[in-house]
Amino acid sequence: MGTILFLAHTEADGTLVKVALEALGSAIDLSKQLSGTLAVGLYGASVEAAANALGTCGAQRYLSVSGENFAQPCYATDAAACEALVRASGATIVIAAGTSRNARVLAGVAHRVNGCVDTHVSHIEAGCNTLAITRWFYRQRIEGSLSRDQRPWILLFDPGTHSAWQGEAGSIAIEQVAVTVPETLRRTTVRGIVTPPADQQTIRPDAKLLFVAGAGWTKKQKDGQTHVTEAETLIVDFLKCSNASLGGSKSLVELTGENQTALRFMTHLNQVGQTGASPRHPKGLATCCHGEEPHTVGWRFISERRAINLDPNCGWAHGKADVLYVADAFEVIGKVNALLSSQVTSSAQASQNSA
Amino acid sequence: MSTAEQPIVERASIDVDIACVGFGPAMGGFLTTLSRKLLNDDGTPAIESSVMPGMPLQVICYERADDIGFGVSGAVTRARGIRASFPDFDPTQIPLAAAVTSEKLVYLLDPIGASRRSRTLRIADSLLRKLAKLDHEAFELPYTPGFLHKKDGYILSIGQFNQWVGSQVMSSGVVQIWPGMPVGEALIENGAVRGVRLVDQGVDRSGNPDAGFTPGMDIRAALTVVGDGPVGAISRDIDSKLGMPPGNEVREWALGMKFVIELRPEVDLQPGTVLHTFGFPEPEIFGFLYVHPGGLASVGIFVPSWFNCPVRTSYRYLQHYIQHPYLWRYLEGGKLRSWGAKSLQESGKRGEPFLAGEGYARIGECSGSTNVLTGSGVDEAWTTGVQLAEAVLELMQAGKPFTRENLVRYEQRRRASWVEKEARVAEKSRDGFQVGVVTGMMGMALAAFSNGKLSLGGKPPKPCEHLASLAQFYRGKVELAEVVALEKQCAAKTTSLHDALMNRCGWPQIVPDGSLLVSHQDALLLGGKVQAPAGYADHVVFRDIEVCRRCGTKLCVEMCSAQAITRSLEGAPNFDREKCVFCGACSWNCPEMVSGQPNLQFTAGAGGLHSAEN
Amino acid sequence: MSNPFHVVVCASVVPDPLQTLEPIAGPSGPGLKNEMMLPAILDPWAAHALYEGAHLVKQVDGSKLWLVSMAPKAKLQQVMMTVAQKVPLQLVAIDGPSGGFVDAHQTAITLANAIRKIDGLDLSRLLLFGGWESASRSAGVTLQLVGEQLGIVDQFQGVDSFKPQDNGSFEVLERIEGARHQVSVCTGPPAVLGWATGNLGEPPNNPQVGMANMRLIMPALQRATAASVSPDGLRYGSVITPKQQRETKIVKDKTADEIAQEIAQWIGQE
Repeated sequence: MGTILFLAHTEADGTLVKVALEALGSAIDLSKQLSGTLAVGLYGASVEAAANALGTCGAQRYLSVSGENFAQPCYATDAAACEALVRASGATIVIAAGTSRNARVLAGVAHRVNGCVDTHVSHIEAGCNTLAITRWFYRQRIEGSLSRDQRPWILLFDPGTHSAWQGEAGSIAIEQVAVTVPETLRRTTVRGIVTPPADQQTIRPDAKLLFVAGAGWTKKQKDGQTHVTEAETLIVDFLKCSNASLGGSKSLVELTGENQTALRFMTHLNQVGQTGASPRHPKGLATCCHGEEPHTVGWRFISERRAINLDPNCGWAHGKADVLYVADAFEVIGKVNALLSSQVTSSAQASQNSA
Repeated sequence: MSTAEQPIVERASIDVDIACVGFGPAMGGFLTTLSRKLLNDDGTPAIESSVMPGMPLQVICYERADDIGFGVSGAVTRARGIRASFPDFDPTQIPLAAAVTSEKLVYLLDPIGASRRSRTLRIADSLLRKLAKLDHEAFELPYTPGFLHKKDGYILSIGQFNQWVGSQVMSSGVVQIWPGMPVGEALIENGAVRGVRLVDQGVDRSGNPDAGFTPGMDIRAALTVVGDGPVGAISRDIDSKLGMPPGNEVREWALGMKFVIELRPEVDLQPGTVLHTFGFPEPEIFGFLYVHPGGLASVGIFVPSWFNCPVRTSYRYLQHYIQHPYLWRYLEGGKLRSWGAKSLQESGKRGEPFLAGEGYARIGECSGSTNVLTGSGVDEAWTTGVQLAEAVLELMQAGKPFTRENLVRYEQRRRASWVEKEARVAEKSRDGFQVGVVTGMMGMALAAFSNGKLSLGGKPPKPCEHLASLAQFYRGKVELAEVVALEKQCAAKTTSLHDALMNRCGWPQIVPDGSLLVSHQDALLLGGKVQAPAGYADHVVFRDIEVCRRCGTKLCVEMCSAQAITRSLEGAPNFDREKCVFCGACSWNCPEMVSGQPNLQFTAGAGGLHSAEN
Repeated sequence: MSNPFHVVVCASVVPDPLQTLEPIAGPSGPGLKNEMMLPAILDPWAAHALYEGAHLVKQVDGSKLWLVSMAPKAKLQQVMMTVAQKVPLQLVAIDGPSGGFVDAHQTAITLANAIRKIDGLDLSRLLLFGGWESASRSAGVTLQLVGEQLGIVDQFQGVDSFKPQDNGSFEVLERIEGARHQVSVCTGPPAVLGWATGNLGEPPNNPQVGMANMRLIMPALQRATAASVSPDGLRYGSVITPKQQRETKIVKDKTADEIAQEIAQWIGQE
């Protein structure tokens, strides 16, 4: 039927990220369903280790573009590398993970190879003569399936679409694809990565729990006063005790931006829904947040949902949460913090005792 | 950054020819008429700007709401003035518009028995039950009185109508309309209006400069046209500083609240169906149902200022209204698409301000054009806008200034028109309601059929002057001791009192169905999509907190359409501007006066409803 | 400063996020129910790009800003009533479809063609700004495709910061995994930048800016060229709003202690 190219970049340590292995799982399935050939295309500083790690995935060709020129995530060189890999493979379908590095270039590559591209793919279905993908539209509000005639068709998969491929390593013969890098492709250099300091790192993509702080934390409470400092302390302590990732609503994030009395550690990066993220966590706890649609569309990938709100008629009450606790979040979170930290203390004690 | 460290930001000032406040039907009429005459056929200005020589007239309209499509009204109109402006008016061009196809006036009986009906009315009810043919607990009157009929008219969504008008006016290229621009006050110098001042941005809730502080710009203009509606801040400002005509005062109001409901597919109601109702949920509360194309219906009620319940409210009553069997057979199983609320200024001629003065003119509902007898305001507002535009064009073409004397041409046109004629009939038509509902009905009929010469009842008191006390209102229904106990409980829990008392009177709890019967906050968010941008001061301010603490009724809390005003344990209410829909009910429901003004001050602000299906 | 930028911002028009969106089938593919009635805004991340672009143009002498937008003309006019009050801009209006189901490839061709025709635009100084992903298609591909059409090989996505340097180069911060930013330096334009939110707040409404803008915006709208975008080889299957209703259990009568216990336990569970 044609070649399906699994395209991936290696990380600085030569490995592949989990979402890439998930995309590989999809590519393997697809190649079987379409009776096509599977090819692996890798790009990055060094790719041998990664190629060997995929040694038993069933691919018939392993192509690579590697070397110092392709170490850094950079449009000019990455696009050239990916373009070369797509052409060399002769692929009609290209499957890649929706990482920032891939997403930066693969639409451009689709243009260069006179193909087409679709991103944020959540599902793929192959029939006898058909291939259709499913993706989200309008920021996770509408789900649509579509198919295209044009080839090559480049697909970027979202995480969680497939289980990650697991298999034995093998010893692989890699075909190096040569890509020249003239001056015109060297205008951008990557200087490094900026990470917020550990104590300000409130976003934890691998956390088991998303903790959303809503605008209610900054509003006047029953005593007619605001208690923003107390709110900040409670939230920061909660994040410490629970290792949760912090999310916020658009209104709260904007309050912070306007320098109003708001939670100082909230930035646009924390926003969930609207112009923010749709993070993936097994659990989510919303506090002092009304649960309006533009915010809750960002909860699409949170499995278990609970909320704490004084308003028994807030949005969470009507089908958006599994459990709504009608209570004062200031009180409850304070007590949760105490419980969680005593659990940590007692398990630390226990490990100390058993050590 | 503390205030001391803030750089001093100068207040900017710009000059325009005509500054307009508010974009609604009145301003639509004004700008449509004006814009048609500002350019020659070859595109050159027919009237030159005096602030930008060589350029066309600079006509700028400032509207508070975030979009001109967010206006609230369940409107049915005979559209006489509108059709005069648009001879080819075609309702199919405007979303949600429909020609009226059928009209009924319906008296709703009370199937629950919780409403507060006078003995007269109860006798009438039992007679009806015995003698008349009832349909689902309602009596359909055999005809719609002439003064009320809309049979040659249209059902409109005001939001969509405004959007349609605004779009045409804007595409002429000669008028600018700026939404999201609340106007704070009029610029008054020596008794003349010289323009307006916009609201400060980048301030905290108390109005103090904060990050991004920008003092509201001054817009200086030879003519300021004020069409800011029933509760507009500029109207209020001008009235308080320049006074009202002797003896005129705005005393009568209503709060209109409505849902837009998506009907079940099998419901057989034609677009253009109009129902006017009275009698339920309380005899004082009139209601309506209008059917739009596409299976949508606007359903709503009016809670009037002469409904003297000391804990009067709207949302709960609306929920009971739609469940009346006569309506529920159509509405049950429907889906809430939209919600909104707005005050109606019902004083008519008795609340008429100075229609024009040095450098300014008033059009639309803020000038008392709404007619409570015919139950219409959109077309009247439109027509006053047209009348002003005609006068203004005349003056500009003759090179005459916008003085009080010259602007009399507007007043003359208005006085000679059907708007005035019908306003006179309406003037005292509802005075009977001060006495009671039955008297009110009789008075309306009397006024209508005598063309305003005869009326019943007397001059209406101010909206909070004749509120019954809790004891009086609930006498015979709830023991005083219990009322007092409930009041204490609600104060302690900071919940409103009307729910507790309505429950106690036998109004059944509303059972939410998640789709149409939803909580009040859900209606705000799902229906009204209420939001407010940051950086603006609170536009509802309690002048003297001590006065609030002493206030027994907290009627502002009960009547707030959006639960934006809530009780606090402190005794003085909390105001959450992110919930406010600018209905203005609070502005006429504050019973406490301080130096001649209500203790609750309602001014201009940004945000509110974001629903276009309104 | 002898290194002015010519900033072209591509921004689409999307329904205001507060609105309820429902798909319907149309003659040329899926669309949104009552799309013409829904209040519209400028696509949020693209709007951030616009504000950043305007800020940059103010800082760097000789720079210019254009806003290129394809949408039904009436919608564009509506949206301009808000956007034109924010920052000075020159509008290039294209009267065409603006929904999320419109093919990105075709859209990109139309936008690139319009950009090439901009009077006074120096492509060697071009910074093509836009949103990282739109709130409609939410794909993050259109800007890249426009960039490729214009032959630009220095592209950045998820941008939160753009800092011009004295020598004509600039430093860019892009969002990457783990809530981190990648820092890159590019020797100079042309470049493509798909913005996330950046760090500027939304500018307040400014009547002076509005009035000045309107003088050019109204004629630009009147001159808007019509564009049609054919679905060419793209076919939609089912398009639905998935139901996300859960059976919410409302806990009203427990004490704060009891609730805290329950939550702590739930957090600790696998």
